[in-house]
Amino acid sequence: MSEHAAAHDEAHGEHGDHDIHPEPTSFLRKYVFSTDHKVIAKQFIWLGLIFMFIGGSMAMMIRWQLANPGEPFPILGKQIFSNSGGIVSPAAYTSLFTMHGTIMIFYAITPIMIGGFGNFCIPLMIGARDMVFPKLNAFSFWMMFVSTIILVISFFVPMGAAGAGWTTYPTLSTTMGTPGVGQTLWVVAIYCAGASTLMGAVNYITTVIVLRAPGMGYFQMPLTVWGLWLTAILNALFIPVLAAGMILLFLDRVVGTHFFLAGTMVKGGGDPILYQHLFWIFGHPEVYILILPGWGVVSDLLSFFSRKPAYGYKVTALAMSAVCVLSAVVYGHHMFTTGLSPLLGQGFMVLTMIISVPAEIFFLNWLHTLWKGKIRLTVPMLFALGLVFVFGLGGLTGLYLATISTDLYLHDTYFVVGHFHLTMAAAVFLGSFASIYFWFPKMFGRMTNPLLGKLHFWFSFIPINLIFCGMLYVGFGGMQRRLYDPSVYATFKHLLPVNQFISTSAYVLGFGSIFFSINFFYSMFYGAKAPQNPWEVTTLEWTNTTSPPPHHNYDVIPTVLRGAHEFGNPEFMKATGKDWLGQAEELPAAGAKAADKETAE
Amino acid sequence: MAAAITPPMTALQGYSRRKDTGPYVGMVIFLSAFGMCFAALFFSYSVVRTGAMSWPPAGTEPLPLGLPALNTLVLALSSWTFHRAYVAARRGQPVVAWLGVTFCLGALFMALQLVVWVSVYRSGLHPSSGIYGSVFYALTVFHALHVVSALVTILYLLPGALVGRYGAANHTAVRLSAMFWHFVDVIWVAMFLSVYVF
Ligand code: HEM
Ligand SMILES: [Cu+2]
Repeated sequence: MSEHAAAHDEAHGEHGDHDIHPEPTSFLRKYVFSTDHKVIAKQFIWLGLIFMFIGGSMAMMIRWQLANPGEPFPILGKQIFSNSGGIVSPAAYTSLFTMHGTIMIFYAITPIMIGGFGNFCIPLMIGARDMVFPKLNAFSFWMMFVSTIILVISFFVPMGAAGAGWTTYPTLSTTMGTPGVGQTLWVVAIYCAGASTLMGAVNYITTVIVLRAPGMGYFQMPLTVWGLWLTAILNALFIPVLAAGMILLFLDRVVGTHFFLAGTMVKGGGDPILYQHLFWIFGHPEVYILILPGWGVVSDLLSFFSRKPAYGYKVTALAMSAVCVLSAVVYGHHMFTTGLSPLLGQGFMVLTMIISVPAEIFFLNWLHTLWKGKIRLTVPMLFALGLVFVFGLGGLTGLYLATISTDLYLHDTYFVVGHFHLTMAAAVFLGSFASIYFWFPKMFGRMTNPLLGKLHFWFSFIPINLIFCGMLYVGFGGMQRRLYDPSVYATFKHLLPVNQFISTSAYVLGFGSIFFSINFFYSMFYGAKAPQNPWEVTTLEWTNTTSPPPHHNYDVIPTVLRGAHEFGNPEFMKATGKDWLGQAEELPAAGAKAADKETAE
Repeated sequence: MAAAITPPMTALQGYSRRKDTGPYVGMVIFLSAFGMCFAALFFSYSVVRTGAMSWPPAGTEPLPLGLPALNTLVLALSSWTFHRAYVAARRGQPVVAWLGVTFCLGALFMALQLVVWVSVYRSGLHPSSGIYGSVFYALTVFHALHVVSALVTILYLLPGALVGRYGAANHTAVRLSAMFWHFVDVIWVAMFLSVYVF
């Protein structure tokens, strides 16, 4: 198999730490078919940002229909919804929410946080020259690219793009429910995206295991790397389960097998609920896959910008690991209403509640890190704090969904949509931008504009809360999700003003992204030149290499001496005159002994 | 440089030792992932099977046993020959004969599998004729695709083996391919027992 070949090829290139891959010179090898993790990271981030724009625009169309049911979509409506005179038709609405969810999860957040920052941060933060398998890494990106092409094609086939929701439950997703080719292409695209993610995951896990710089044990790794590593482990184990579901669904649609078609008792048959098992065995870990990189980044940023060590560093790392383990055994909470045996249901409910214990632990560690810190409200820090807030809020709403008795009422209402947007969409959205603003100087060698960044933050943070809390509200009022036009139901009529308020907030959020776009493009070319360590932090990529780093990252592989959060230690301050100490920074001889004893605690 | 904070030598040694294990670690993770995929397929099989009144469902003929049993032996033998190839590579002995035999056994497996598919198809059991056919074809074809990939890895090794490239210091590729081969064989045993026998 190809991964075999790739693994084999790389086996030769990595002996001793002196061999530096020569920098490619041709344009194609350097910027397009590059095997450099930093270039691949940027490719993933570009891809993710483009799709975040597309998915975001779709959200605006959904919100338009909910606020102004039956009115033509302004400006581009006539072009996009040409068959229905600019009105979002019911079929188009179905495709819109399906593709919005799919794109945001698999083609925006996953590429940015995992493909992008996983690639960028892991080798740099552990002091490696590249991933262990650089070719596999490039292959992973191009697989994702193929997947996006298939997805884009699916919009232009007869009967249009997929329409069975991002969860694609049969029987809606069988050829009876959604006959078009679009749904089949969706299945293929997701399979390819999964293959890409799996290749990335194998690379990340192996890189962390084998390429940590000398002296960097697991508990000297920055929490960002912890988050990304745990993400990769969940990906490697659970993406294949999604793949199995996609294979069976594909066979049902194309070959005519019966896996998800209910049969008769005598003849035997498939089981539509089987798909839900397969999907959620993957799906629940998936929501942690999406948020874990964000948790990791935030755990580091809170410490960096409070100028304090991360409170309970080891506990945070272990609590996140515990969440990963538990995430594998709670998926049934998505299926309380499917006729699951009550005993199983109770079990899943208890296990789900138990997850909140480790989650609470690292959440409190975050707050402790902030407590009495010398907080610097930089743009990345603002976004990090935003994540903490919306994740906390969203996490609390999860308790109502984990409880069977309340879930029976809230299931499939906008309360669910509000809940998962707060925890998964809003939190990851803010986490992505925290990461982008934080690592931008290292990636592009230029600083972003703080004023535009702050405008972007406030234009994101406030509307995000209004939108998704609004959704919680209408959901509690009983309004179902995936509902084309709630205003035709007498019970939901009074919710129309709230829906209009949510939609207006969404437009404001969309408007706020203009600040980001200007900042991003302007700073990339005209921003102030970034110094090596503009944020005065401790991790290797800032302390031991230039901005941007050379092709081989480190001229000398650093030797790590301490953990990633060495801030405000009075002994160090006496010895060095600054309040932070790099992970590989040697102290001047005087005072080293005393200070070292201090860090040992 | 302060003596107190020089890392102990073992950190450096550990670093260079770790670096060489990359391909194996990567392979183990890949195989765990494939294992999860097969586990999900077996899980699906168990769900539809426990939901059926009888298995095979009434009116469906059971699958043939003879050829698949023979095929199990063929694969077991091929695992052994591949292991011999790996041992030979480690000892610096020629591997090409062992690899060649393994390849032939793998090809024989595919040929027999083809015979089984054709005869089952002729007997009227189609992928679309019910859940029994769905399970049979989906699982065996998916497994066979992995056998084909494993055969491709041998094809990839053979030219090097012919010129004697693999030896004590350079047997990583042979080992990786062997790991994959054994994995595919183990899956087959599970499949043989659950799809054909019981
Ligand atoms: C930009 C701000 C966003 C807004 C205004 C928004 C709005 C919406 C709305 C209104 C729906 C529900 C449609 C319906 O049930 O009829 C929805 C569904 C969904 N959104 Fe978002 N969303 C946003 C961002 C995101 C992000 C960043 C993610 C990624 C994690 C995401 C993931 C989803 C998913 C998975 C669904 C469910 C789709 C389905 O029902 O199959 N959204 N969104
Ligand atoms: Cu869940």
